[in-house]
Amino acid sequence: MPVHGGHRDPRTSRGRRSTAAVAGALALAAGSALAGCGGSDDGNGGRGPVSLTWYVYNESSGSFAKAAADCSAASDGRYTIGINVLPNDSDGQRQQLVRRLAAEDSSMDILTLDVTWTAEFAEAGWAVPFPAAEARRVTDGMLPVAVETGTWEDQLYAVPLNTNAQLLWYRKDLVPNPPRTWDDMLAEARRLAEAGKPHYVEVQGAQYEGYTVLFNSLVASAGGQILNDEGTEVVLGPPAEKAVEAIRALAHSPAADPSWSNQKEDDNRLAFETGSAAFQLNYPFIYPSARQNNPELADKIGWTQWPTLVPGQPSHTTIGGYNLAIGAYSPHKAQAAAAIECMTSRENQIRTAIDGGLPPTIEDLYTDQEFIDGGYPFAPAIYEALRNASVRPQTPAYQSVSLQIAHTLSPPSSASLGRLDSLREAIADALESKGLVP
Amino acid sequence: MATIASTPGASTPGASAPGTTARGRRPSGERTALLGWSAANLLILGISLVPLLWLVSLSFKTPASITDGSFIPNEWTLENYRGIFGESLFTRALLNSLGIALISTVLAVVLGSMAAYAIARLAFPGKRLLIGLALLIAMFPQISLVSPLFNLWRQIGIFDTWIGLIIPYLTFSLPLAIYTLSAFFREIPWDLEKAAQVDGATPLQAFLRVIAPLAAPGMVTTAILVFIFCWNDFLFAISLTSTEQSRTVPAAIAFFTGASQFAQPIGSIAAAAVVITIPIIIFVLLFQRRIVAGLTSGAVKG
Amino acid sequence: MRRRSEPETQTAGEAMANAGEPTNADERTNGPAPANRRRAPLSAGARAERRLGWALCAPAVIVILAVTAYPIGYAVYLSLRRYDLRFPDDSKFVGLANYATVLTSSLWWQALAVTVIITVISVAIQFVLGMALALTMHRALVGRGLIRTVILIPYGIVTVVAAFGWRYAWTPDTGYLSGLFGDATPLSSQVWGIAVIILAEVWKTTPFMALLLLAGLALVPEELLRAAKVDGATAWQRFTRVMLPLMKPAILVALLFRVLDAFRIFDSIYVLTAGAYDTRSVSILGYDNLFTALNLGVGSSLSVLIFLVVALVAFIFVKGFGTAAPGGEGRR
Repeated sequence: MPVHGGHRDPRTSRGRRSTAAVAGALALAAGSALAGCGGSDDGNGGRGPVSLTWYVYNESSGSFAKAAADCSAASDGRYTIGINVLPNDSDGQRQQLVRRLAAEDSSMDILTLDVTWTAEFAEAGWAVPFPAAEARRVTDGMLPVAVETGTWEDQLYAVPLNTNAQLLWYRKDLVPNPPRTWDDMLAEARRLAEAGKPHYVEVQGAQYEGYTVLFNSLVASAGGQILNDEGTEVVLGPPAEKAVEAIRALAHSPAADPSWSNQKEDDNRLAFETGSAAFQLNYPFIYPSARQNNPELADKIGWTQWPTLVPGQPSHTTIGGYNLAIGAYSPHKAQAAAAIECMTSRENQIRTAIDGGLPPTIEDLYTDQEFIDGGYPFAPAIYEALRNASVRPQTPAYQSVSLQIAHTLSPPSSASLGRLDSLREAIADALESKGLVP
Repeated sequence: MATIASTPGASTPGASAPGTTARGRRPSGERTALLGWSAANLLILGISLVPLLWLVSLSFKTPASITDGSFIPNEWTLENYRGIFGESLFTRALLNSLGIALISTVLAVVLGSMAAYAIARLAFPGKRLLIGLALLIAMFPQISLVSPLFNLWRQIGIFDTWIGLIIPYLTFSLPLAIYTLSAFFREIPWDLEKAAQVDGATPLQAFLRVIAPLAAPGMVTTAILVFIFCWNDFLFAISLTSTEQSRTVPAAIAFFTGASQFAQPIGSIAAAAVVITIPIIIFVLLFQRRIVAGLTSGAVKG
Repeated sequence: MRRRSEPETQTAGEAMANAGEPTNADERTNGPAPANRRRAPLSAGARAERRLGWALCAPAVIVILAVTAYPIGYAVYLSLRRYDLRFPDDSKFVGLANYATVLTSSLWWQALAVTVIITVISVAIQFVLGMALALTMHRALVGRGLIRTVILIPYGIVTVVAAFGWRYAWTPDTGYLSGLFGDATPLSSQVWGIAVIILAEVWKTTPFMALLLLAGLALVPEELLRAAKVDGATAWQRFTRVMLPLMKPAILVALLFRVLDAFRIFDSIYVLTAGAYDTRSVSILGYDNLFTALNLGVGSSLSVLIFLVVALVAFIFVKGFGTAAPGGEGRR
């Protein structure tokens, strides 16, 4: 156990499993698991700091690991935080978390939840809510829309760790005046195509969560929503028709990258870095990447708000990011709450923003000149996007709803008003947990 | 049928084809034929190796040049390899893969040898049933087992442990082991065993002292095949693990991260792919004849 | 082996025995005799042998049954219940409702169709290529050993790794094959996606097929071919009239193995398309419903249905085509 040996409580089942594996004895493994479940509630017994396990994806700049180490050190010996790595994509993260939670694993102290999972984890009883007073304290000064993603039925289940929003990135050398609406953007691309210049619009179009995000952004920017506010019924009114038409328009215009139907965020970044595109709808991670891989191009990148579908109205891009929740089976909930408060603190958010490029959830950082000059030049644009941002449908059945959206409207070139009708039915079924998921 | 195919350690059936000598008497035709064969060889060589070589090429490319579409990297870098070996994510998974595959292999060969010996040598009722059962398992759709095993494993507490993977691997490699080993065991000169029994050894002693050493080549072959099977598994590895504790390399590849949250770690995945392919290629090169003999005996002969 | 059930096998077996392996022939003719002798009075020695036989097989049988028979029974039980992993307390018996859900869903039929298409096409291609490779290896003047080594490399490569190799090859920007057939992104359309999946499958498992067929080729006595040639048979006639019939048992076993293996295809689809654009196989559908939708009830009924389909295919092969089960009857 070279990895966990340092921070695992030896009395938990996980600490014992490799022994069991070596012994090769089924009975022993079963016995140790039972013993593991009986851990006492304080779990500390006055013997040094409590070991907390933080389930989080592998943040490449290492800022999460540093936050964990700093908070452990600052806890005055109350706890130490060890990281258990989750996959890179959010579907994989959810699968791993859910499997362990279904096994009622007591090592799951701190969970990193995608903004779309709050309802599901809350309803399943996998995350415990923060008491109202504590909730107010830990979210003080955070962007309301980010806090909303961690809230379900008026209770805070997860504290925002970082947020994210897309911007419209464009080539300043090709596009002197960035477009404000989707139609303008397509018209501009058509003009560039006729002039024989790079003209693609890079945007997510593969059949996956990112495509649902695109659809949600379009529907919201057209002034509508996918589900009602309670998350119980399908809405998908006329604004959704506008959104589908926007997808169609792009798919059948020269602006569409030929590989659009297979593109995820990173494919967009790679394509943009090769210089074949004029526009890109994507998260800020593309900027530091371009600086590193193609500095010449990076100088020509401009950014502005996501294009809207209603001229004169702001766009409502979909909010992303991750929140931290306390695992329901953790024997160390108090320490976990303290650790979450520390890791979502201002200092740690600044580090994640500067080193890892992830937008912070502390509102006043967006007007903090020092922070902006310290390596976050597009902070004002993101702030504006976040203030107008839309939230993806909040329902425990989100995963099924999202799969149905991506499935029914794929590939983008086949999106049509007819498909929208079948989507309404599919989502209605998904909300009632009927049928198979695609 | 196919007794030839399993002659242990010997060459494969085709190797001794008598037809070659008959055709060797026409020199002019032979030259064309030689050219043709060489061309065919090259084609097969290329098709077999190109996909792997592309991964090798990607693994040596820098992030900036990964999209250049060139087969020979323009900028060589070892960064991808340094990266994966610098992270417990990969090194720990490599350890898990090796450990789990080795333990499963040893167990499968031991249990498989016992059963194969009985099948090859002993008369007992239920033998045909056993062979049928083994065949059924070899064909079993693994996805059908994933949900019950997942639920069962988490209830008895071996979800996400080595043993939780070793048990299904053992199950699915046992039929392979039993077939291959019983094919090999049939070729062993049994007079020796009888002689040992005349000398007063029990059947078990005869098995352990006389037959087992003779059976060693077959066991090595079986071990290689079983190891490749365990090394290759993906479905169980992603379904029955959830932490570094027991995650094997094929499953761990999905956990690799790129330069940022959305960036795909193409270079790292390619490097990891190359690393876990190397041992297999070494096995293949070293034991090529045995693997061929084992594969064919296990299936065709039965 | 299999003498009683399969006339061709008998010919093959006899021909093979004559083809010059005296040791085996001896062992074979002598083999069953003692067994027959033992059968009459059940001597103490025979009883001991019996016990030893059972004892030696017991561990393997226990492991196999523990991991298959019990879980499949458990899967049947789960498939009759509503069981959402998120709400285990709401679990209850629902009869065949889960099966109704699956069988009335177009997703299941589509996945089944895709799986059958992938299986049939890939095995057909594998058979043709595998036969060509086997003949090459059987006859080659040069480089026989080299080919045999090289074609084992695809067999040895981890399927997931191979699939990543293909995915990057077919993806624009990182690949060298995308656009080869006119479609810029083959992995994002159903037809091309399935084509790429089949290609990956063929590349990976044709060597295995070739080796099985090579072993079958060894059953064809050289004299018979020479005699046919003397009688004026063309190469094609020799292949179809002499070789194929003699190889039939080996071919059927190879096809059975490959068909059932292709039917459970999972790894390469998971990596290549993850089932997007209606390229999902039944295994992928089962996995998604188990682990993404967390629906153990519906997921288990998918598992049971897949098992039944596989059993049906195996049954058809064994009863319909007379495929002798490998290791089956006859042999002592």
